[in-house]
Amino acid sequence: MAERHELSQPRPLPNPGWGPLAALPGNPLMWVLILSEMVVFAAFFGLFAWLRAGEREVFDASQQLLDPVAGGINTMVLLTSGLFAALAVQSIGRGDRRRCRQWLGAAFALGVVFCVVKVVEYADKLGQGLMPETNTFFTFYYLLTGFHFAHVLFGLGLIALVAWRISHDNVETAAAFWHMVDLIWILLYPILYLLR
Amino acid sequence: MRAMQDAFRDAATRRLLITWAVLMGLTLVTMLSAQLGGDARLAALPLWSAGLLLATTFFKVHRVLMVYLGLADASPAWRGAFVGLVLATLALVASGYMMARF
Repeated sequence: MAERHELSQPRPLPNPGWGPLAALPGNPLMWVLILSEMVVFAAFFGLFAWLRAGEREVFDASQQLLDPVAGGINTMVLLTSGLFAALAVQSIGRGDRRRCRQWLGAAFALGVVFCVVKVVEYADKLGQGLMPETNTFFTFYYLLTGFHFAHVLFGLGLIALVAWRISHDNVETAAAFWHMVDLIWILLYPILYLLR
Repeated sequence: MRAMQDAFRDAATRRLLITWAVLMGLTLVTMLSAQLGGDARLAALPLWSAGLLLATTFFKVHRVLMVYLGLADASPAWRGAFVGLVLATLALVASGYMMARF
């Protein structure tokens, strides 16, 4: 009977006292950031799709100049880095700071790999004379990937910071930011590199 | 390697690893459905292929939200809000794609 009573109890809120945000796991303010970033990128993607409808030939011809395999590899790199960040959260949850630092280090290293691939891609495009002002597609290419790249750099700084000042809340917050970076790239990659 | 072996022992961690494997597999499906090989890359995607591309993208984002970010533990209203936003984003992209095509 006691067991049944226990089962019928509602689950405690992860963040009591946070009003409508109380039901969200982790740091509620990070969710506000995630939501706002998703809305901003959604607006960019919508605008990209709208403009593509008017200049389909230009967009399709420009997309041929991108390297979808490099983009796919970078997707896998970020997904694996996200896994390592999630494992870091689990380790700190168990109180294993050493293991947590190892996972954060692995997540950081893959973040650097992502940046290297992206810089090589940028160098290749700029070397071919493909600038942001070349056409509307490349304006969006540099804007969207550049904005995302800035988030990756910020995320790397955040991971380094929490590996130094390690605590459960810090690691959880940095990992949430890193997953958001991951999530945006998952949306960005097919829209920019693949859909034609 | 040792860290990975330890991780497998725990059910929650196993869930993360399975999710990661699914996400990697779906990334390959995304790349394959975009028909990156040979002359096919020069042509517009068949509709089924574009649909599969957007569907796998949605599923990947959904998994990252629910498992990596832990949204599965949030209230149904929040889950609905985030999933709705992702669906609206992809619907915008899909409608732009259809406008360009027809």
